[in-house]
Amino acid sequence: MQSASSWSIRNVQLLHVVPLVIMTATIVFSSSANAAGTVAGTTISNTATATYTDPGGNPQTANSNQIDITVDELLNVTVATADPGPVAVTPGAPNQVLSFTVTNTGNGSEAFDLSTTTAIGGDQFDPATTSIVIDTNNNGVYDAGVDTVYTAGSNDLTLAPDQSKRVFVLSTIPGGTVDLDRGDLDLTAVARTGTGAPGTIVAGQGQGGGDAVVGATGADGVDRGAYVVQTATMTFVKSASVLDPFGGSKSVPGSIVTYTLVATVSGTGTLGNLAIGDTVPANTTYQAGTITMQGSPMTDAPDADAGLFASNAVTVQLGSVAGGQIRTVTFKVRIN
Amino acid sequence: MRRLLLFITMMAPNLAFAANNVALSSTVFLEKTVADGSGRSRIILEEPEMVTPGDRLVFIVNYRNAGDAPASNFVVTNPLPAAVAFEGGADSAQVSIDGGKRWGTLPALRVREADGRWRNARPEDVTHLRWSLKQAIPAGAKGKLSFRGIVR
Repeated sequence: MQSASSWSIRNVQLLHVVPLVIMTATIVFSSSANAAGTVAGTTISNTATATYTDPGGNPQTANSNQIDITVDELLNVTVATADPGPVAVTPGAPNQVLSFTVTNTGNGSEAFDLSTTTAIGGDQFDPATTSIVIDTNNNGVYDAGVDTVYTAGSNDLTLAPDQSKRVFVLSTIPGGTVDLDRGDLDLTAVARTGTGAPGTIVAGQGQGGGDAVVGATGADGVDRGAYVVQTATMTFVKSASVLDPFGGSKSVPGSIVTYTLVATVSGTGTLGNLAIGDTVPANTTYQAGTITMQGSPMTDAPDADAGLFASNAVTVQLGSVAGGQIRTVTFKVRIN
Repeated sequence: MRRLLLFITMMAPNLAFAANNVALSSTVFLEKTVADGSGRSRIILEEPEMVTPGDRLVFIVNYRNAGDAPASNFVVTNPLPAAVAFEGGADSAQVSIDGGKRWGTLPALRVREADGRWRNARPEDVTHLRWSLKQAIPAGAKGKLSFRGIVR
């Protein structure tokens, strides 16, 4: 937009009689380091000044008219997933979080409408979006009850030029999904002022009173996040070997029976708080201090190590065990 | 009509006083690349109705000696608006990168970085442009100066 006073001799004569100093361009400007560029509404003012000497040897000064151009608003936005890879989930789990970064790459403050799409081909399930949440405390991590739920019209995502905000999408994973099923989700951010082909003009709607024009991004941005189901199952095998007092393997009074408990975890998930327990059989006596895990001896007392003998039962706390791992526990009893 | 007459009357002493008067006028155009439909594109200059960061501007300064005596030592200074980065197109101009304190051609100017190192000045460092005409402008003569900028 331009407003320039028309050129005339009369204008210059008026300036001539007014004491003049060299004028600098009027700077109505905040930061030129802005990646998004000059902020919408900024006025670019240009004036040229001439100095010369008149025939009497007197210095004279003349100023040109001032041209003012208002910088219009460029509407641009990008969305990028902030997860390093698919987010691991379990079947039926609610409030599973995908993270995105929404950046206003335009040069005006702008509100963006957010939406998700889950009907995407090539995956195994559609996560059910339950809410879109803005990272209100800017810590990059979803904080239930602290970060505020995005609601169009009442809790908008409004970003200054160059500003980024983390946005979380919370979904419920369908039950019935199995290990390694993937569910994709697209988050879309749309400039509320308008979208369309680059160059589309939204007259008069730019920040600072100018027009708004759709930038190279089309004033909408989208990126894809994904969930992947990771489950784990455990198989458990118990075996026994007997050593009789005579060096053989007969089960007679006085024979020592070594029980071996093997827990095999399979799948891509992790089993948490895994514990192996076994009750000492009737007519046998537990041999104190014989618990081992992965070949290492464990104490019987309820202490820091994982082994425990109490109430005539052996327990070993295995903690979290990832798929593909095996835990072997042994203990010994004597046949009465 | 009466108002106009009054105006001229008021101006009359100044007219008599000024033996020469150089008038300056400043205009700006937006440079646009337009596809002509056959795969080629051409550049046009138009009124800057819509200006956004990255747009190319062409600034033109017209001068005219409207008086009846020559104007000597004629120097035109154009401070660059802060939101505009210099893009060349002003071969005969001297430039300043420090608000008009020092002047020279761009390759002759150096910028001190925050870390204390010196580097060659770049077009976007330019703050002012200056044209110094060697010869006096005769009465009635006119000319045109121009430079290019890009909206930051």
